[in-house]
Amino acid sequence: MRLTSLTLRDISGNAFRSFVIIACAFVVAGFSLATILVARGATDSITLTQARLGADVLVVPSGNERTIEGALLMGSTAQIRMARANLEKVGAVVGVEVATPQLYLMSMSNSSCCSVPDMFMVAYDPATDFTVEPWLRKELGRDLTLGESVGGTYIFVPEGADTIKLYGYDLSLEGNLEPTGSNLDATIFFTFETAYEMARISATKAAKLLYASPDQISSILVKVSPGSDPGQVAKDIRAAVPGVSAITRPELFGSFREQMEGQRAVMLVVLAVILALALAVIVLVFSMVVNERRREIGVLRALGASQTAVFRALLASALTLAFIGAVAGIVLSALVLFFFKNALTEAFGFPFMFPSAGSFALLVVIGLAVALAAALAAASVPAYRISRRDPALSMRE
Amino acid sequence: MIRILAIILIVLAIVVIVVPQFTNCSAEGRTLTLENGKQVAMKCAWTARGEIATGVPLLVLGLLMAVWPRKQSTRSLSILAVVQGVFVILLPTGLIGVCMSSDMDCNSILKPTMIVAGIVTILVALAALVLNERKTVS
Repeated sequence: MRLTSLTLRDISGNAFRSFVIIACAFVVAGFSLATILVARGATDSITLTQARLGADVLVVPSGNERTIEGALLMGSTAQIRMARANLEKVGAVVGVEVATPQLYLMSMSNSSCCSVPDMFMVAYDPATDFTVEPWLRKELGRDLTLGESVGGTYIFVPEGADTIKLYGYDLSLEGNLEPTGSNLDATIFFTFETAYEMARISATKAAKLLYASPDQISSILVKVSPGSDPGQVAKDIRAAVPGVSAITRPELFGSFREQMEGQRAVMLVVLAVILALALAVIVLVFSMVVNERRREIGVLRALGASQTAVFRALLASALTLAFIGAVAGIVLSALVLFFFKNALTEAFGFPFMFPSAGSFALLVVIGLAVALAAALAAASVPAYRISRRDPALSMRE
Repeated sequence: MIRILAIILIVLAIVVIVVPQFTNCSAEGRTLTLENGKQVAMKCAWTARGEIATGVPLLVLGLLMAVWPRKQSTRSLSILAVVQGVFVILLPTGLIGVCMSSDMDCNSILKPTMIVAGIVTILVALAALVLNERKTVS
């Protein structure tokens, strides 16, 4: 009898054992993949958001550091304002190559003057901007003009309309940026000129006035000159401009990173507990099954099957079952994380970006390897014991 | 084994019937206001109704498979379940659709639930078909 047919007969011969091992591998592989995917997806999203902003240093009014992080990553309401005069002061600091202002505004929902639900609106200065401009130059080959906008991946023109109506103002959508997994995906960008025009129109056409004063901005994004230390530049900005906070790129979203670290630690503990339980259950079930089959195994050995052949056959059946369970667990876990990413982002409270195909394939291999290694480790002890047993003793008992 | 797969199909059918009824915009009190001031249901509400029409046959089909797991009937029922699974996915993604905004429950919960439930239905039905055919051969 070949190893394959022996394995298949072994699997179909004990439905309870097969179900338990498949279920254990399903949970271990699915949860391993989910844990790694969530942790990786959150980190990737934050890194992508930082890269999209493109700033080495972000300057905001003091006390608004967490508000700005929440607004950029999760879309929390941000009414951050500081004097535009700060822009000149920041630009004059040694080591600052470019300083560009941004104004953060919030859309209105459930109002006849606004055709879309809540979204984050960012006004920027096309003369100095480095957040949207590189994309515009590459994709459109020109700057945005009055009444034009570009949006994150979730920004859309409502069905049956040609423009997005915001505060009674019709805005055309010229394109969508690549996804980041953060609130930048639900952010719409337009120039300061458009923001002021929208504010003017809102006075007569909107249910609520949009306040956008030319003397005020929300933040200043700074690119440091080559060779300058962003940390030192941030320190100099804090010293030169009173009432502002300068956050360097590595420090940006620090509170979210801390929160994520905490949740990741909890998930790793849960994973360790699941792994330990799965190992214990597989050892127990496999020991029971092997013990029940000791006579059968004794006959096999007496008929000439070597210790190694018996050991291999038992391990092969455990691995086959673990593989079936692990593949099912991985498929379900990946489907849930991929299709529910928006709901999960809201539930976890931090951004999430599904990894690229290459990274995902690597994570699948890791999840599969964890489940197979667990099954192999758990099944090898009882399989080794029974395969080394004297056939005569096994048959007599 | 066929019975276990049939029970999974029954659970999936219940998900397909129940989840859309609580996660469409009309169930959450959101409606579309027309130019003349009239309020009409958003399209996710129609998708939710449509899912009842796919979920109920799937439920009956799962029950039949669980009660009478005969070779010939299981073959036909598995193929039908695959077709039902396809329609569970098509209703929110193509045939009717859901609202476009990513922050609405119909977009972030209803649609993904139906896609995942549809894919799992197809996979479970295919597994039942394969196991059933193996049974026929042996």
